[in-house]
Amino acid sequence: MQGIILFTVLSSTYLMVIAKRMSALVRGFRYQSFCLFALTFMMAQEEHRPDLYIIAGLLFVLKVSFIPHLLYRVIRKIKANEDLGLFINPQLSLVWALAFTCLSWIFTVNFIAPSNEIQAGILAIAFFIVLTGLFLMIFRMTALAQIIGLLVMENGLFLLASTVSGGMPFFVEIAIFFDVFVSVLIMGFFVYRINKLFTHIDVNKLSRLKG
Amino acid sequence: MQIFIILGIPLFLSAAALLIKNQKVFGIINSIGYLGVLLASILLLRETALSQSAFFYFGFIYLDLLSAFFIFVISTVAFAAALYSIGYIRKDIEGGVISEKKAKIYYILFNLFCFSMLFVPAMNNLGMLWVAIEMTTLISAFLVGFYNNKESVEAAWKYIIICSVGIIFALLGTVLFSYAFSISGGIKSLNWSDMMASAGTMDKNILKIAFIFILVGYGTKAGLAPMHTWLPDAHSQAVAPVSALLSGVLLKTAIYAILRFGIITIKAVGFAYFSNLMILLGVISLAISCGFILIQKDLKRLLAYHSVEHVGIIAIGLGIGGTLGVGGALLHVFNHGVTKALMFFGAGNVVNKYRTHNMHVIRGVISAMPFTGFMLLMGAFALAGMPPFSIFISEILIIFAAFLKGYYLVTFLLLGFIAIIFGAVVHHFSQIIFGSIPKGMPVEKEPLSGKLAFLFLFIQICAVGIVLPFIQKDLAWIVQKLFQG
Repeated sequence: MQGIILFTVLSSTYLMVIAKRMSALVRGFRYQSFCLFALTFMMAQEEHRPDLYIIAGLLFVLKVSFIPHLLYRVIRKIKANEDLGLFINPQLSLVWALAFTCLSWIFTVNFIAPSNEIQAGILAIAFFIVLTGLFLMIFRMTALAQIIGLLVMENGLFLLASTVSGGMPFFVEIAIFFDVFVSVLIMGFFVYRINKLFTHIDVNKLSRLKG
Repeated sequence: MQIFIILGIPLFLSAAALLIKNQKVFGIINSIGYLGVLLASILLLRETALSQSAFFYFGFIYLDLLSAFFIFVISTVAFAAALYSIGYIRKDIEGGVISEKKAKIYYILFNLFCFSMLFVPAMNNLGMLWVAIEMTTLISAFLVGFYNNKESVEAAWKYIIICSVGIIFALLGTVLFSYAFSISGGIKSLNWSDMMASAGTMDKNILKIAFIFILVGYGTKAGLAPMHTWLPDAHSQAVAPVSALLSGVLLKTAIYAILRFGIITIKAVGFAYFSNLMILLGVISLAISCGFILIQKDLKRLLAYHSVEHVGIIAIGLGIGGTLGVGGALLHVFNHGVTKALMFFGAGNVVNKYRTHNMHVIRGVISAMPFTGFMLLMGAFALAGMPPFSIFISEILIIFAAFLKGYYLVTFLLLGFIAIIFGAVVHHFSQIIFGSIPKGMPVEKEPLSGKLAFLFLFIQICAVGIVLPFIQKDLAWIVQKLFQG
């Protein structure tokens, strides 16, 4: 079961890399978050830990429901062009993503020395997600895509933290959730402002400050 | 006990800012509050210096001399910024740049920002440390984009995105640290004091990788080149008192975080690894900032690149290590905070008066605003590292340390870059301070609160510069004490 979910996490990440439109990207993020929720929920059932149930619940409320909803709303409200402003086309992006997968596998096996096969797989996927998030932030030129890239990186870290050390301490995890929530709100607010002042959200064209 | 006063006052003030209508009255209350914070932090510094062990509260607040020192630096600059805000905000309201309502928002955010910065050094839990530093970014992004024009919103966006990505790497590093800790057989904990206790048994390879992530992550926030690109934009667009806070102390909180992780790394992996990385980043910062300072046209960006330079010097000092190196670097943290705050206040006054950032247009500051002009002149010399001002002392300590430890190439580069930057700064500032005043510009009388803020900082610059050489023994003792912590 765990293997199937991990496979879904991996494929939803590929889905985000090849997404051409904004809504597809948000949908990919929703799938990925849902898989993380399922993983955490299963872990909670296995180990009978009430704190993990709360974290899974928060994951569902925030990352599966609220944040994608908010992002869809922003897209509709500012009537943003559905175009993502691709720097690298989907096919080439997929090649990059495959390279990242290999790279994170090699990195995990050689440097982190995990204890068993499953842990190695999860670790490699977590590093892969972080790398992909960074890739999305750098090579997609709209402000909204950058927010999603950041969230993807955060998802990767969540996966990493929950496997390597059995999750962060409970209240740190809650604080990080709160932090993600606030940062999405603030970034959404700034996207509105950018759209109002510049009449576009193409970050590549924000070049008034130089030198 | 003092820590609760220090953290409580800013929170209380941000609530009070909601209620009090008259911004002038609130500005004065605000300054009195920060005077209280400053006094409490001095008491805390004294207490931690005299006691043998560190203080714990509820398991997640941990205070030793190092944290007390950073809290003291933050509250000093925050007090000056609160004083300066009174006059600055009133002028913006009178000039119609912002409304009364917006001034209220300013004071709320200002207090929350100070609260989140004061929170950072008190944290024992490394995860909470991360959350606190990310909070400083999120709150100050509003203060960077405060004027809501194209430039400031662009700067705020770049600031929030670059720092958030950077800080995600820091979280990755933190997770790896906790992983190394958990496989070393310790209990599951993210507390710095627990990790420190069993640092010797942690896996060296994982710690090495983790520390690189930490350095990239918090280094972005600290403004170490080549991750400094958000810094000149944010510093030049923020409200002037906030520029001072950003440059003077926000960068230092990130340095504090690096230092905390660095201490664990040194204990587990050895000093050479930490030292090489810090010196490398420090020298890159110096080189890059030196180039940009030479060709700079924008007054506030010039000061921002200057911060990159000084953070580089601090990194080199920490990398060299030893009593002299670390002592010099920590002293530099204080000196740079105070001096840079003074300069940003001056630049804020100048920009308000001339309505431009361009240094080719600004002329004759000393005739238009005698007090600010004089302070800017003194501050420029202090910043460039002239005796008898304080930055000279800390720079010379770091140079001594480098020379004594045999880092000849580093010493050579450090001296060379400092000399070039000295020339550039004196050239730029002599251009704007002297020369003939533009036609039709009246000579201005400056508000008392602004003058007090300048004097408060200037006295500290001079005092540290003149008094310190006479109390070397006490200084050495304090640094020894810091090492134990």
